Amino acid sequence: MTTTTAPLIRPKASRDDLIMRACLALFALWLLVVVALPLWTLLSKSFQDQSGAFIGLSNYLRYVETPALFQSFWNSLFVAAVTTAIVVPLAFVYAYALTRSCMRLKPVFQGLALIPILAPSLLPAISLIYLFGNQGLLKGWLFGQPVYGAVGIITAQVFYCFPHAMMILVTALSMADQRLYESADALGASRLRVFLTVTLPGVKYGLISTAFVIFTLVITDFGIAKVVGGRFNVLATDIYKQVIGQQNFEMGAVVGVILLVPALLSFAVDRMVARRQVAQLSARAVPFEPKPHKTRDLALTAFCLVIGLTILGVFAVSVWASFITFWPYNLTLTLKNYAFGDFDPLGWGVYLNSLIMASATAVFGTAIVFTGAYLVEKSKGFGFGRGAVHLLAMIPLAVPGLVLGLSYIFFFNMRGNPLGVLYGTMALLVINTIAHFYTVSHLTALTALKQLDAEFEAVSASLKVPVWRTFFRITVPICLPAILDVAIYLFVNAMTTVSAVIFLYSSETKPAALAIVNMDESGFTAGAAGMATVIVATSATVKLAQLGLSRLLSRTQAWRKR
Amino acid sequence: MDGTAGAPYLGIRHLTKRFGQFTALDDVSLDVYAREFVVFLGPSGCGKTTLLRAIAGLDIQTAGTIHQGGRDVSALPPAERDFGIVFQSYALFPNLTVDANVGYGLVSRGKPKAEVRARVAELLALVGLPDAGPKYPAQLSGGQQQRVALARALAISPGLLLLDEPLSALDARVRQHLRQELRDLQRKLGITTIMVTHDQEEALALADRIVVMNHGVIDQVGTPTEIYRTPASPFVADFVGTMNFLDASVSGPGIVAVGGRRFRVDELNGLTPGTAALVCIRPEDVKTRNVEPGAENALEVEVRSLEFLGSFARARLAASDGAGPDLVADLSINLLRDLKVEAGTCFLVSLPADRLRIYPKTP
Repeated sequence: MTTTTAPLIRPKASRDDLIMRACLALFALWLLVVVALPLWTLLSKSFQDQSGAFIGLSNYLRYVETPALFQSFWNSLFVAAVTTAIVVPLAFVYAYALTRSCMRLKPVFQGLALIPILAPSLLPAISLIYLFGNQGLLKGWLFGQPVYGAVGIITAQVFYCFPHAMMILVTALSMADQRLYESADALGASRLRVFLTVTLPGVKYGLISTAFVIFTLVITDFGIAKVVGGRFNVLATDIYKQVIGQQNFEMGAVVGVILLVPALLSFAVDRMVARRQVAQLSARAVPFEPKPHKTRDLALTAFCLVIGLTILGVFAVSVWASFITFWPYNLTLTLKNYAFGDFDPLGWGVYLNSLIMASATAVFGTAIVFTGAYLVEKSKGFGFGRGAVHLLAMIPLAVPGLVLGLSYIFFFNMRGNPLGVLYGTMALLVINTIAHFYTVSHLTALTALKQLDAEFEAVSASLKVPVWRTFFRITVPICLPAILDVAIYLFVNAMTTVSAVIFLYSSETKPAALAIVNMDESGFTAGAAGMATVIVATSATVKLAQLGLSRLLSRTQAWRKR
Repeated sequence: MDGTAGAPYLGIRHLTKRFGQFTALDDVSLDVYAREFVVFLGPSGCGKTTLLRAIAGLDIQTAGTIHQGGRDVSALPPAERDFGIVFQSYALFPNLTVDANVGYGLVSRGKPKAEVRARVAELLALVGLPDAGPKYPAQLSGGQQQRVALARALAISPGLLLLDEPLSALDARVRQHLRQELRDLQRKLGITTIMVTHDQEEALALADRIVVMNHGVIDQVGTPTEIYRTPASPFVADFVGTMNFLDASVSGPGIVAVGGRRFRVDELNGLTPGTAALVCIRPEDVKTRNVEPGAENALEVEVRSLEFLGSFARARLAASDGAGPDLVADLSINLLRDLKVEAGTCFLVSLPADRLRIYPKTP
């Protein structure tokens, strides 16, 4: 080993390094303020009494000992478990048809299954009320049972969760190695045996991950339980009742912390699964190409047709109902349900609020997310700062919107917090929404950045070009499609989200999705359906615009052609 | 090139680089002189790229100093050093035209547009792509992209050109062609150049001096002829070209025993009688013509197999009496024809004493 005592070298940081480190520090601070500190306040609140004194686990004990509260814990678990058990097999077959069969019209089927993503979770619930509620068209189908309660929640959740499950499973199923199937064929394995020994093991992690994601989605969703829950209490509605109804913030915090548990668990499992998934597909793998098989393809087409049309039907019901004069007695068409001023003091103003909020979230959120991801991926040295920012950016994935919203109440209302001026403003709604959907955006940006040549920055440095110039001139233009993805993702989610902002809006800043909740609460179901339709139309337009725009990018930017 | 006189342009002293527990460079010292073409050669993981990146300031060493042109650059970030670099991936900016790529470093220095345009045209002509300017990198072949990357690196007239496996992503024919062009260009510009490669043929063809590296240390520095003719270690001997390694022991002054046979060697490499040794000879140095019976270091061999390689054939030979050693020798096509050599043929070869290299045998 070394015998000479050569001087140890302390690398001198360049101006670029210093700028990037300063930005990283700013980012860490930003994520600390919008994610970590609010959650910390929530956590400490759950151990305090109303005067703010520390009382240990008393709140938790009281929670467990109050049957009315603890019952909803079991209710939530029940609803989530049943929904997961229904959604995962359905979505698996659907995804299997999309990836492993020679079914025709795959893009159409994929599009049909994705419809629910464009709407607030409230929409399928509203449709259920129109179909099976007290004045429901198909009320008889339930043999006199009311739709309000577990049945309604589970049915609506199945629709709402279906696209999420399908997307994960499509990804998992498309990672298949043709050679494995050819070997199995060559060895004379039966179709069933191939399915059990090759297909299923290959998507095992995808299935686990899906199950946890769906479970968490159901447990943390607020809108559906609010609309069709009736007297069937779940955690998500409890938190709302405790905080908004009874002003019992401490108990709200306890329910919030309990809500965090399944989400954290699912997050941990997903991380674990993601790590194992890496080795699944080597660079040498041959992509799987399904071969035609008449009976299988026909059966799968029939299945997808039933599911796809049901989804379309459920959504169409709300759209249709929103144009109906008096459901179900006077089915003549009308536009009166779109005179939102009759149901809400802000009228169409809520829609304007939503547009402002979604646009601001998309613009500022994308800028912040992309810059943050760039700093994490490309800055040199300062490993601690990079690690901290990345970790903080991963937290929101594990935090249900309701919990984040509640934490914001606590944090931004705290006495002495100078950021308190933001409370009740549109700015806070935007900040909250960016934080709520930060992780997926961050990961999308990170994936795009990882695909860039790692030496762009080194080349720039050798040419003495400052890093910010290369960022704007090279990195951003190349990543434009991913940047567009992030912006649209943030916009659509900001349009449809209910859970986090429900604690944070004021009478002037109320967004459209919340107006739906209010209208439904006051019995204006048709108005609610109308507003939901407007939101769906907006999200769909934006999605279509994205498609057109990315086509345009690949056509007008000559260098993208290969 | 007689560049190795006077003060070195690049002075590397006691360079050590550790990644956690792993030592990638272990106390490396090296001088590079102005206008020299130096090639770092070694298997993957030998530390050659680490050394290059330390010189560039991209991954700064843990300890040790680097002086460039009399200036201590040891701790400086890349932007404060003076070099141009071409990576294996070329790292061309895909969204910029060739013109904009080559002019990238010039524009940000606030040079007037006309001056930038003239310089870019000059550089593209220099690398033989005068008409590529308006194209995008994806529209160029691999070899053309490589030239653009080279032009971009040269644009700012750096004092030092660093090439990180610049040819390894190309197919064999293009590689050979570009190799020659690269050498001519470097001579013409007289720019001090360091290239990293794992391809010994490339190193022999291009370098003024080759630095052979292994396990984070330098095994040998020398001209291509020195490296090939007098490798300093069995590793160098094995890595550069093909070599026969024969287990031997030193049995007396100028004499080694291989199996039951004795061979005379010119150079004992400081080994004393009784030590275990490796005796080496290149396949093309085995004398196969006109060997008289009883000549020095002669032995009769039988051809085990022949591998036809175009202008010559590589033969696996074994001593006819079975007492060893086994050898690989290159036989010219003429010889094959004249002596009607084929598998099973026996004939006389000799191992010339001045071509035998001897190394201590390390377990």
